[in-house]
Amino acid sequence: MPSLGFLKKKRTKDSQGSASDFTPTSPVNDKHAGSPITPTLSKNSALHSEPESATDSAGPGSSHVAPAAKAEPKPQMNATATAAGSGQQMQGVNASSNTQNVPSIQNLIHQPNYAPNPPNQQQYDSGYSSGNPDGSHIPSTNLPTVQKSSGNPVRETKGKYTLTDFTISRTLGTGSFGRVHLVQSKHNQRFYAVKVLKKAQVVKMKQVEHTNDERRMLQRCRHPFLITLWGTWQDAKNLYMVMDFIEGGELFSLLRKSQRFPNPVAKFYAAEVTLALHYLHSMNIIYRDLKPENLLLDRHGHLKITDFGFAKEVPDITWTLCGTPDYLAPEVVSSKGYNKSVDWWSLGILIFEMLAGFTPFWDSGSPLKIYENILKGRVKYPPYIHPDAQDLLGKLITADLTKRLGNLHGGSKDVMQHPWFAEVTWERLAKKDIDAPYVPPVRGGVGDASLFDKYPEEQEAYGAGGDDPHGKLFPDF
Amino acid sequence: MSHHQPLPPDYLNERNALDREILKHAPHDYLQFCASFFQRRLESQRAEFLLGQRHSAGAGVFPGSNPFGTTSTSGTNAGADMSGAAGAGAGTGAAGLGPRGGAGAGGMHAVAEEEEHDFASLTAASFPPHSRDLPPSATSDTMMQNNGGSDTNSAFGNFQGFSSNSDSRFSPPLSATQGALEPTQSFPNNYNMNRRTSVSAESLAPASADDSNWKAPQYPKSAEQTDRLRAAVSHNFLFSHLDDEQSTQVLNALQERKVPAKDVRVIVQGDAGDYFYIVENGNFDIYVSSTGRAEPGPNGLGSKVASSGPGTSFGELALMYNAPRAATVVSTQPSTVWQLDRITFRRILMDSAFQRRRMYEAFLEEVPLLSSLTPYERSKIADALESRKYPAGSTIIRQGDVGDKFYILESGEAEARKRGEPQALRGYGKGDYFGELALLDDKPRAASVESVTEVRVAALGKDGFQRLLGPVEGIMRRDDPSQAAGMTGSGADPLR
Repeated sequence: MPSLGFLKKKRTKDSQGSASDFTPTSPVNDKHAGSPITPTLSKNSALHSEPESATDSAGPGSSHVAPAAKAEPKPQMNATATAAGSGQQMQGVNASSNTQNVPSIQNLIHQPNYAPNPPNQQQYDSGYSSGNPDGSHIPSTNLPTVQKSSGNPVRETKGKYTLTDFTISRTLGTGSFGRVHLVQSKHNQRFYAVKVLKKAQVVKMKQVEHTNDERRMLQRCRHPFLITLWGTWQDAKNLYMVMDFIEGGELFSLLRKSQRFPNPVAKFYAAEVTLALHYLHSMNIIYRDLKPENLLLDRHGHLKITDFGFAKEVPDITWTLCGTPDYLAPEVVSSKGYNKSVDWWSLGILIFEMLAGFTPFWDSGSPLKIYENILKGRVKYPPYIHPDAQDLLGKLITADLTKRLGNLHGGSKDVMQHPWFAEVTWERLAKKDIDAPYVPPVRGGVGDASLFDKYPEEQEAYGAGGDDPHGKLFPDF
Repeated sequence: MSHHQPLPPDYLNERNALDREILKHAPHDYLQFCASFFQRRLESQRAEFLLGQRHSAGAGVFPGSNPFGTTSTSGTNAGADMSGAAGAGAGTGAAGLGPRGGAGAGGMHAVAEEEEHDFASLTAASFPPHSRDLPPSATSDTMMQNNGGSDTNSAFGNFQGFSSNSDSRFSPPLSATQGALEPTQSFPNNYNMNRRTSVSAESLAPASADDSNWKAPQYPKSAEQTDRLRAAVSHNFLFSHLDDEQSTQVLNALQERKVPAKDVRVIVQGDAGDYFYIVENGNFDIYVSSTGRAEPGPNGLGSKVASSGPGTSFGELALMYNAPRAATVVSTQPSTVWQLDRITFRRILMDSAFQRRRMYEAFLEEVPLLSSLTPYERSKIADALESRKYPAGSTIIRQGDVGDKFYILESGEAEARKRGEPQALRGYGKGDYFGELALLDDKPRAASVESVTEVRVAALGKDGFQRLLGPVEGIMRRDDPSQAAGMTGSGADPLR
């Protein structure tokens, strides 16, 4: 009997689905129906916080919203705008977007004195059922801003939001210089994730360049299996990055709970990662930190790669040792200089870990022993690994760059055309037309973070003013 | 025949793969080739199915799911995501599975659409009993495992045991309960199940803007001291892969440091680590505190785990990245150590590797046969070249051998000789190349190349070359077909 599941998998008429026809995925429209930000896709977004716009700092009354004409018309946007009772709504929008935008601009101009609560803020509280996390609907009139002319559709994300746009809620994850919080937009009630980085810590750990790269890379990328950056800002102490809230938690948790994955399940996740890497590499970006901890599951069970802390644009070669010990390629360990093919090595380690439950070079002692094992390169395959998988792994986890798939003449296609992936219809996968093997048991859209581990919460309050000795180091935030 | 109906994508997928193989292998017997191809595909799927039967994995979480499972026996495509069984994939699973394929925790899922799922009675405890006729071998074992009840952590649903014994309860304390099926010994003891944190060294760029004249510091030491230091690090993987020049630079950069008294803490557990140390003289005690840091108070350092005497080293992780120190090292008397910091070490390695690469790229530009390579392609070759040393008087290429490698001389001198001829045909010095015609064909080498002095050569084989850049003929013919025929000038290869 036909079920709705059937409808879900409706194929497009012309889908061929073979890897040989595969072309780099064009950004798929996210299913964030009515979701924010046309502005992130085009240049019409609220804030062009270029220094030149100092002229615009005329005060709370001015707005910096670009004319609607530049916006890609998004049906949802208009729909909700009208739905909410247009006239007033738009009015409110104008005013609010004014106030919304301005504090952020002022944030940049008067950095140390940023006052988190500009008076006009109270003008609107609710009512935005969709749109930006800050609730602004683009079409508001006002002063056209200087349009950046650029070839690529770069999302304008800088200085778009402020702390006051959000209600900050629990911690979803922590790292060396900050943490990620679940937040809710006060304007559209949607949930997002905000990564908070302490500037002092970033400087101390000498990660300034990586942090700026992270922002830059995320801003350039738009792919169904990569997390979306909606905007960033900074205050005296911290950097903030607003991203999707991905509800299903980390693949890491699922893997640890299951111990290991069955062959087709590992294959599904590996295939999604492969598509994401293909996309990143086509933009000359190396990812450099592939591991289950950085793979999130959305509520339908599809992957989102998160944490671009080590992502970097590298046309040919780079040198910095970074990554996670178990996943480092030998050429990274031996400091010889390396290229994008390290991501393919890491894919091999990831596939192995998904199929076996542990990493091939693991050692219970010091990380140095792990590195020795990596350099020795000997992998022992458990008996339950499918022969095709083992073959692929042998061709990914190899120190010989003339044999490592992904680095050869055929590029990522060599990976996609490997027999282990024979049954994957790549085009359908790219459209998320293949159902995930596991759907996280969360309630969507309500900020259900039950699948995330609990962490001790941050004591320090965000939004403190004061000295900002490091602000200049992060000009794009 | 008419094509009114589009062909199913899964079928087209298989056909496209076959097409690629045909192009790649250009078989003569098409019929046999196609048959073998499909046979291999079947074998692969069967292997998966059998594996799934024998070794089930985390299956409780993934109810019968092969996302790519080609149509299950169930007519509806709803099966497509649920078809096959966890671990078996082939989509067909056991006959008669029908729409029951792998339901699983449907109730749990937000996917409200898939309502026709039947849940294996395995988890009858937690689920509305859609009774199913499980294959008889849905053993009572599995039933019993399940009644370990609560762990049918409903969040993860349950596994549709299509192939019976593939059991697998997914229960948090893994191996324990699955012991029956899994040889748990293949899972390592003490495996760290926690999240792993990332590491990073400082960004360094070679010969970069700030410091193009950077030279590694050199601290004088006697030959004897240098030898002892070399011996001290010889087993350390960070040093054992260095070439001579890097090794010399690193040893020179070690700086002597006097430890004036006992009870001096050379490194402190938990602190940031920047330096690596080798003990020249003296003895050091090593303490590890279970808290991960050295604490104040009389026993704050933790327990003593070892001693470190002359010729030993400690702190090497600091040479890779800034990790917190894993132990505290305390002097027991006035002593002397040698120290080296991470930035200097990495700078030496990086500059050396960078220089070598630039050298390769420059050399490659001089090879007429490779003149049509793009810079990107040259870069890929440079990455793949393997460097090795030959002592004086060795034979690098032997006359008559089938040639498959191409060589660049990095340093030293070599010469080409033909059997029976007293005079060398020609000599080679730094930047010269030889053997490149091996890239074009497999003809035997027409002469030998022998090292006159100790030499260092970088080599790449034809296979590797083609894997990286595609068929050689395609590259050679880019500018001018006649170029492929050979070359003239200083590159003339006496080996032909």
